[in-house]
Amino acid sequence: MAAASPSVFLLMVNGQVESAQFPEHDDLYCKYCFVYGQDWAPTAGLEEGISQITSKSLDARRALVWNFPIDVTFKSTNPYGWPQIVLSVYGPDVFGNDVVRGYGAVHVPFSPGRTAVCENVCSRHKRTVPMFVPESTSKLQKFTSWFMGRRPEYTDPKVVAQGEGREVTRVRSQGFVTLLFNVVTKDMKKLGYDTGPPDTQGVSGPSPPQGLPT
Amino acid sequence: MNSNRRRRFHLWAMAEVHVIGQIMGATGFSESSLFCKWGVHTGAAWKLLSGVREGQTQVDTPQIGDMAYWSHPIDLHFATKGLQGWPRLHLQVWSQDSFGRCQLEGYGFCHVPSSPGTHQLDCPTWRPLGSWREQLARAFVGGGPQLLHGDAIYSGADRYRLHTAAGGTVHLELGLLLRHFDRYGVEC
Repeated sequence: MAAASPSVFLLMVNGQVESAQFPEHDDLYCKYCFVYGQDWAPTAGLEEGISQITSKSLDARRALVWNFPIDVTFKSTNPYGWPQIVLSVYGPDVFGNDVVRGYGAVHVPFSPGRTAVCENVCSRHKRTVPMFVPESTSKLQKFTSWFMGRRPEYTDPKVVAQGEGREVTRVRSQGFVTLLFNVVTKDMKKLGYDTGPPDTQGVSGPSPPQGLPT
Repeated sequence: MNSNRRRRFHLWAMAEVHVIGQIMGATGFSESSLFCKWGVHTGAAWKLLSGVREGQTQVDTPQIGDMAYWSHPIDLHFATKGLQGWPRLHLQVWSQDSFGRCQLEGYGFCHVPSSPGTHQLDCPTWRPLGSWREQLARAFVGGGPQLLHGDAIYSGADRYRLHTAAGGTVHLELGLLLRHFDRYGVEC
C-alpha cells in the first residue's frame, strides 16, 4: 500500500555554476550552498562547494568562467521551502585581502512538463543571478573597510535566501552569475502536484545590461 | 515530517497552491536606491498555511545599468475552497536617499498567475500626483502624497478620486504549483 501511494517526492538537481560578469573585479572564486525548508532533506550529492579561482580571459569577451559542477538530490513531503541555491563570490582587493564581491540566491527551477512514457519529468534551465554586496553605513566606514580589507559581509550567507530581516540592509548590485540547471522530479504527479508545461527554451532570469559579455 | 502528514490529512479535501519565486528588481524609476514593501491579499476562501504574507526588501543601489536588484524570495502555501479572491501581490516602491529619508516612488499590484509553471511578470506602478503645490514641494524638498489605506492599490473601488503619474516597472519571477485542482474539475 505504501508503494501504491507515495508520500515523498524526489527532486534531483544537477548542473553547473557556469560563468560570471563582474566588470570591475577579477580573480574571483565562488562558493555555493543550498537553503531549504524543514520538510526537505538532501539524500545524495553535495550541498555546498567552493570553486577554483578564475581570471578574465584575454580576448574581447573578458569572460570569467568557472564551469563548476552542482549535483544534489532532495526528498520532501511538501513543496514549501523549495530549495534555493545561495552563491557568494570572493576576490582579492588592491592590498591582496580576500573580500566579498557579491551574494545572490535563486530558487531551483521546478521541473515542468511530462512525457507520454514515464512519470519522471525533466527539463533544462539557465538562470542569471544578480549579485550584490552590503554597503557601508557611512563614508568613513567605507574608507576604513577599504583600507583594512574588511568589507561589510553577512555572518551567514544563508540570510540572502530569506525574506525576513532584509528591510534594514542596504546593498549595491555589481555583477551577475550564470547557472545552468537540469531538474528531474519523481512522484510529484502521483502526489497531485501540477508543475506546468515544459519550458524547453530554458533561458530565464534578468538579462545583464548591454555591453557585458553573455 | 510527522506533524506535516497529520495536517495534510485534515486538508485532503482542499486544493492547494504554492507560489514560489522572487521579486527580482525594478527598472524605470527616477531614483536609484530603491526598496519594495510587498504583501499578498486573498479572498475569504483562501487560507495561508505556510510562509509570510508580507515583507520588505533590501535597499539596492545598482552599479551596473539602471535595474535595482532585490532577489527577494517569496514562498507561500495556500489552501483554498473556492476560486474567488485569487491571490494578488501588491507592491510599494520607495527610494531612500543618503540621509536615510524614504520617498514613495510607486504603487502597483499584479495577480499571482493562474496556470502552473514559471512566469516572468512585469508590474507597472503609479504614484499619486496631488495639487501643483504638492508637486512643486516634492521636486524641491521631497515627500509627496501617499495613500491612507493600502487597499486602494489592489482594489478598484475608490480609484476614480485619484490623479496619478506613472512610475517604473517591478519585475517578478513567480512559479506556481497547483495540487488537487483536477479533482474539482478546475482547468488551468
